[in-house]
Amino acid sequence: MEGDGSDPEPPDAGEDSKSENGENAPIYCICRKPDINCFMIGCDNCNEWFHGDCIRITEKMAKAIREWYCRECREKDPKLEIRYRHKKSRERDSNERDGSEPRDEGGGRKRPAPDPDLQRRAGSGTGVGAMLARGSASPHKSSPQPLVATPSQHHQQQQQIKRSARMCGECEACRRTEDCGHCDFCRDMKKFGGPNKIRQKCRLRQCQLRARESYKYFPSSLSPVTPSESLPRPRRPLPTQQQPQPSQKLGRIREDEGAVASSAVKEPPEATATPEPLSDEDLPLDPDLYQDFCAGAFDDHGLPWMSDTEESPFLDPALRKRAVKVKHVKRREKKSEKKKEERYKRHRQKQKHKDKWKHPERADAKDPASLPQCLGPGCVRPAQPGSKYCSDDCGMKLAANRIYEILPQRIQQWQQSPCIAEEHGKKLLERIRREQQSARTRLQEMERRFHELEAIILRAKQQAVREDEESNEGDSDDTDLQIFCVSCGHPINPRVALRHMERCYAKYESQTSFGSMYPTRIEGATRLFCDVYNPQSKTYCKRLQVLCPEHSRDPKVPADEVCGCPLVRDVFELTGDFCRLPKRQCNRHYCWEKLRRAEVDLERVRVWYKLDELFEQERNVRTAMTNRAGLLALMLHQTIQHDPLTTDLRSSADR
Amino acid sequence: MGTKEAGDARAAELGLLPSSTNPNKQMSEKPNYALKFTLVGHTEAVSSVKFSPNGEWLASSSADKVIIIWGAYDGKYEKTLHGHNLEISDVAWSSDSSRLVSASDDKTLKIWDVRSGKCLKTLKGHSNYVFCCNFNPPSNLIISGSFDESVKIWEVKTGKCLKTLSAHSDPVSAVHFNCSGSLIVSGSYDGVCRIWDAASGQCLKTLVDDDNPPISFVKFSPNGRYLLIATLDNTLKLWDYSRGRCLKTYTGHKNEKYCIFANFSVTGGKWIVSGSEDNLVYIWNLQTKEIVQKLQGHTDVVISAACHPTENIIASAALGNDKTIKLWMSNY
Repeated sequence: MEGDGSDPEPPDAGEDSKSENGENAPIYCICRKPDINCFMIGCDNCNEWFHGDCIRITEKMAKAIREWYCRECREKDPKLEIRYRHKKSRERDSNERDGSEPRDEGGGRKRPAPDPDLQRRAGSGTGVGAMLARGSASPHKSSPQPLVATPSQHHQQQQQIKRSARMCGECEACRRTEDCGHCDFCRDMKKFGGPNKIRQKCRLRQCQLRARESYKYFPSSLSPVTPSESLPRPRRPLPTQQQPQPSQKLGRIREDEGAVASSAVKEPPEATATPEPLSDEDLPLDPDLYQDFCAGAFDDHGLPWMSDTEESPFLDPALRKRAVKVKHVKRREKKSEKKKEERYKRHRQKQKHKDKWKHPERADAKDPASLPQCLGPGCVRPAQPGSKYCSDDCGMKLAANRIYEILPQRIQQWQQSPCIAEEHGKKLLERIRREQQSARTRLQEMERRFHELEAIILRAKQQAVREDEESNEGDSDDTDLQIFCVSCGHPINPRVALRHMERCYAKYESQTSFGSMYPTRIEGATRLFCDVYNPQSKTYCKRLQVLCPEHSRDPKVPADEVCGCPLVRDVFELTGDFCRLPKRQCNRHYCWEKLRRAEVDLERVRVWYKLDELFEQERNVRTAMTNRAGLLALMLHQTIQHDPLTTDLRSSADR
Repeated sequence: MGTKEAGDARAAELGLLPSSTNPNKQMSEKPNYALKFTLVGHTEAVSSVKFSPNGEWLASSSADKVIIIWGAYDGKYEKTLHGHNLEISDVAWSSDSSRLVSASDDKTLKIWDVRSGKCLKTLKGHSNYVFCCNFNPPSNLIISGSFDESVKIWEVKTGKCLKTLSAHSDPVSAVHFNCSGSLIVSGSYDGVCRIWDAASGQCLKTLVDDDNPPISFVKFSPNGRYLLIATLDNTLKLWDYSRGRCLKTYTGHKNEKYCIFANFSVTGGKWIVSGSEDNLVYIWNLQTKEIVQKLQGHTDVVISAACHPTENIIASAALGNDKTIKLWMSNY
C-alpha cells in the first residue's frame, strides 16, 4: 500500500499493521476487508491484494495480464506498466511454470484461504513466489533463485505445469517451452511452414513418461530441414521404418522398468561420439547428419543438412540395402517362430524353395572360365550363363538332330500296331454323322409343318363371319360364377376371364427378361427367337418370337375377323371345317394360332439344339484325332512293345 | 493265345503237367502275366496308375506334376493333363470314365474332363499335402485324405467341401468308397483303420490290430464285404470288417516305407496284386495266400499296380529310378 507497497519487505508487515485494528484476519484491497473468497489480483510491486470486483478487473481479463501493478504504484512510479500476455505465450508460460516452479503447497504459508484460489488468480503466483523467495514467512522448501528472475518470468498463472494424460509435468520435455523447429513434428507445424498433417507436439516436448512411444524423441526423427521435394527418396521411408523398431525396443524395456524408458530416451542426445549404442535396427542417418545434430546444430537452421543432398546418391544404395536387410531380418524372425510349430517336412520344403532362390544368384556369380560347354553338335564354345547353349543356333541344331534321329523310329513304333483310340474315334464319328442326318430330316419335317400351319391360318382368315347359336349359349352360362385369375388372384367375370388371364400373365412375365448375349444366326430358320435387344442387360431376348410377352403385342382384333380354328371331331380327326365365330367372341379357340405356331417353333428349336450338340461332339472327336501322334507327343513319349505278336491286349471276344 | 493253349494241352498229354484233366483248374492255379508294353514318358517318379472303368484308358500321375492318359489296350500315348503346381500323389476315375480327380502336394485336388483335357474344378481346403482321392460310385462325391490328418468329402458339381472328418492323428494314407457308396474306409499312419457312414460322416467302426503298424493302403473288396489293408510291416491283410477279424494274411513282399497300392484281380483267377519295394510285382492266390507269380522288369520300387476291369491286364508303375509303366497280360 502506501509506504509498504514499494518496499520489498515482507508484505506481512502490511498485513500485520492491519491486525492492529484488532482483527486477526488480514485485510486486503482498497476496501480493507478480509474477504478472500472472491477473485483477487495482486500488485507485482507492492504485493497488496485487491478484489477483482473492487478494482473492476475480472478473472478473465486478468488471465490476459502478465504483470499488474495497482493504481497507486503506477501513479507513484510511471515506469510500471501493466503488461499483457500474447495469446500463445500464455499457454506456454503456464506449461513452463508447471515444471519450472515448485508447487505451492499452501500449507505452510501465512495466507490461508487464498491458497486454493491461488492457482486461478492472475498475478498471485509471482507475488507468492516473490514472497517465498524471501522465504521467511513460509516453510516452503523450494529453491528460490529461479523464481525471482526477470519480470518476464513473473507469470500470472501458477508456476505448476499442468499435468494431463500425456504430460507428467515434471520431465525435461514437459518443461520445455519452445518448439525446436527442426524435428519432423515441428516441420509439419503451420508456424514452421508445414502442411499440418501430422499435428503433434514438438519431439523434444513429448513427455518422456507419458507420451506415445512413437512420438518421443529419437535422433533419427530429426531429419534435414530441406523441403520435402528435394528429399532423396530413400530417406523418406526411413523414419517410418525405424520408428516401430526402436519403439518396440523401448516397449520391451518398459515392461521391465518404467523408469528405464525415460533414461533410454535421454540417452541418445548424450551419446554423441559413438553411434554404436543405438541398435542396428535404429538405422542412423549418414554420419555427417548425426554429428551435426550432436553438436547441437539444430539450432543452426539447416545449413549442415542442406549439403547432404549432394551426398545422397552415394548413400542411397547403402541405406536402401540396410533398409531391405531390416525387412528380411523381421521376416526371418517370424519364419523361424513358425517353423518350430510346423512339421519337419514343410520346414524342409521351405528350405528347398529358399535354396532354389539362391541358386540363380550363384549362377550369376560364375566367371566365364567355369561355364560349361555348349551342348550344340560340334560346338566347343562356352555356354551362355543360365543356358545350355552358346547361341540360339546351337540349340536349334541340336533339336533338329534329335528330331531326325528319334522321330522316324517313334513313328515306326506308333504304326506298328493299330491305334485303338483312332478306331474308336472313327466309329464315334460315324455314329455322330448318322445322328446328324436324322436330326436334319426331322428339321425338314418341322419346316413342312410350319408352312402347313401358316397356310391353314391364312385360309381360315378368309372365311366369312357367321353367327352361331353356340355363342349365345356360351353367353348365358356362367354369369353368376366368378373365376379367380391364376396370376393376380383377383376374381374376374368368366366371360373375360381368358383375355384377362392372358394379359395378366403377359404383364408379370414381361417384367423378367430371358436372353443371351448373342443374336440368333441360323441360316434357313425363318422365325424362331424374339431377338429383341435389351440395351440395359446387353442381351437379345431368347423367347420364342410368337410367344414373347415382353416384345410382341397381340394385334388388335378387328370386329369382323373370324376365329378360323380348324374344328376336330374326337380330338384328332379334322373335319375340314373352321370355327366361324368372330374372333372376339370365340372362347373355345382363344389364341389358337399363337399356340400352334409356338408348338411348331418349339420342335424346331429342339432339333436345332440337338444338331448343335452333335456338332460339338464331332468337333471334339476330330480334334482328338488330329492331335494324336503329334510331334511333341511322339518325341516325349514312347511305347515299347515287347511281344511283337501282341499288339492289342483285348481278348478276341471283344474285337 | 491260341498257340499257348495248344502247347499246354500237348504238355498235359505228355504228362508233364499235373491234373491235366481239368484245364480250368490248372489255369486258375497260376496266372502267366507277361510283359507286353513299357510306357515311357514321365520325367519323374510315377505315383499312381488307374484303369478307367470302361477299360479304354490308363491314367498315370507322377511327381512331374502331370497326368498322362494312355490307351489301355495298345499302350499308346493319348494326352497330358497339366495344371498342378506340385507333385501329384494319386488319381482316380469317375464311373463314367469321363472325369478324373487328382490329389497333389499343392494342397488341392483337381477335377479334369478327360475328353477336353481341361481342369474343371480345383478343390481347395486341405492344409497339407493331399495324399489320396476317390470318386464314389455315383460319381457325385469325391473323398480325399491328406497329411493334415483329415478326410474331406467334396461335391463334384460345385467343388465345395461338404464334410470334413477329423479322422486320424497321423497322415491319412488311403480312402475308399464301397461299391454302393454308403461306406467310407480310411487308413492312416497311426495304425487305425476307420469305417464311416458316407451320408452322416459318423464313424461306424475302428479296426486296430494288436500292434498297430502304420497303414499304407486300404480298399474295399468288389463285393464290399472285406477290406484289404496293407501295413508297413511287409504285410497285406484281408479283414472281415463286420466281424472285425483278419481272415487272410499275405506276405513275402517288401513294404516298409512307401504307400504301395494293392488290388483284387477278379477278371480271371482271383488274385491279390501288389507292388513291392524289391522292384517286383507280387501276385498271391486270394484263397491259399501263396505267391503265384512275381513280375520282374522294373528297376525301382513298384509303387502302384492296377488291374483292368474286364481283361487280364495289370499295369505297374515304378519310382524315380525307373519312371516307366509296364503293361502285363495274362491268359487267365
